[in-house]
Amino acid sequence: MNLERKDWIRALTAHPATVLNALAEDVTAGCDVKLKSLPQAGLGLLTLTDGAFHEPYYLGEFPLSSCSIELSLSDGRQAAGGAQVMADDAELARSLAILDAVLAARFPGWERVSAHIESGAKQRAEEDRRRRAMLAATRVDFAMLNNAEDDDDEC
Amino acid sequence: MSYVAIKGGGQAIAGAAAVSEYLRTEEGLGNTGAEPLAIDAILHQLRHLVDRVVSEGGVYYPRFAALAIKQSMGDTLEAAFALRAWRSTRPRLSETPPLDTSRMRLIRRISAAFKDIPGGQMLGPTPDYALRLLRLELMDESPDAFRAVARNWLEKCPEAELPDTFPKVLDALRAEGLLPPVSATRGQTAFDITREPLVFPVPRSAQLATMARAETGSLLAIAYSNMRGYGDVHPTVAELRVGYLPVMLPHPVTGELVEAGEVLITECEVVAMYEADEAGGKPVFTIGYGACFGHNEVKAISMAILDRALQKGMKDGANNPSEDPEFVLLHVDGVDSMGFASHYKMPHYVTFQSDLDRLRTTQQKSGEPA
Repeated sequence: MNLERKDWIRALTAHPATVLNALAEDVTAGCDVKLKSLPQAGLGLLTLTDGAFHEPYYLGEFPLSSCSIELSLSDGRQAAGGAQVMADDAELARSLAILDAVLAARFPGWERVSAHIESGAKQRAEEDRRRRAMLAATRVDFAMLNNAEDDDDEC
Repeated sequence: MSYVAIKGGGQAIAGAAAVSEYLRTEEGLGNTGAEPLAIDAILHQLRHLVDRVVSEGGVYYPRFAALAIKQSMGDTLEAAFALRAWRSTRPRLSETPPLDTSRMRLIRRISAAFKDIPGGQMLGPTPDYALRLLRLELMDESPDAFRAVARNWLEKCPEAELPDTFPKVLDALRAEGLLPPVSATRGQTAFDITREPLVFPVPRSAQLATMARAETGSLLAIAYSNMRGYGDVHPTVAELRVGYLPVMLPHPVTGELVEAGEVLITECEVVAMYEADEAGGKPVFTIGYGACFGHNEVKAISMAILDRALQKGMKDGANNPSEDPEFVLLHVDGVDSMGFASHYKMPHYVTFQSDLDRLRTTQQKSGEPA
């Protein structure tokens, strides 16, 4: 798996929350999970830079959930994980924080997390491909327009 | 006549809610095939309606916007109101750093200023070139035919070799010295219209935020007044983009920016009449900017025109309503304006009795000899 940590959330959230919650439950079977910050569901504020003068302004809000955790194994090893995800689902944020820690520290079960990231990344790539197809299928060929015999529509 | 205190409306109010619910579900009377509207069906098949509600509600939560549309039976003002009511119950956890749209995953990108723009023009999903004729075949669309359309399109669609990002038309114009410089207020904190009241004059960030969650028709009406002659913006759409903007937030452990999700947005940049530089520099084009959640091009274009008009009004004084920040910003919010209009339906018995008393007294006095 070549994805960087910053891309894990996008890949993982291609899966349903129920799948991720179950996976997090499984991989923490032998771990102690300590909450560094409580799982919360609320809102995030989206700051956008305007394209004309490059001034920041608030476009609006979005549902946001977040959580930070620390995992401890019986051998004393520890790993920190965290997640901020665009969802109204605190449990999902907790699960993502656990998966983040497990994979970052190569804790037992990290291979399953990695496999989910890989399959999620494939789903995201397919989404991106479909969007690019919308562009490709509607690209305007002005050269062809210029060569057309009845080209009288330009102004 | 004496004033009478009234009570006992509770049953009628509960009854009104039940009648509304009856109408929402009336299709099911004796119709075993009737099914409630699925949220996914609203999300996908009424996507522009959902886009309006996320934008006017000010929260990018398409799933709850679809729910709001369902419960309000398609009333966009009521749906936006419900979404805002929901948001008011939620804590604010974080805000993103200023994001720019250069990394948007585009599905549409056009320019009315140049035929050839770097990266090319791509129409994407648009009704702009379609005949506005009713498609009667959709009156009785079979589920099989419905499912086949998307599948067939995907099978035939070309493999796209396109870049992930596209340069902006305005950047090219600015590089040529044809646009004003970027703002000196770059990097300043933006005005939060959900936490602070609009006390005029307000900064441009407050204007943009207010228009971004404005009611589409209200924004269009005031922008249209400018287009028709009560103003002189005369815009050219330098670029209009529709696509998915990655929402980046810092990772709680590493601090590195992480993609927490994405929002569909529409963004429009217009170039308007050029003007002289007061500092003695070369004249440059004036520009306007609009953006909103969802795919809503009329709203983004209207906002861009009004942004330019408001800049003019702030600088030279307002010559028409669309250049007056107070007039524009206090009249474009759908929840505010529908609330005010709707309040006239509420009991005004006491105030109206007062009006009646005054009129009767005035009539009586006017009938008396002077």
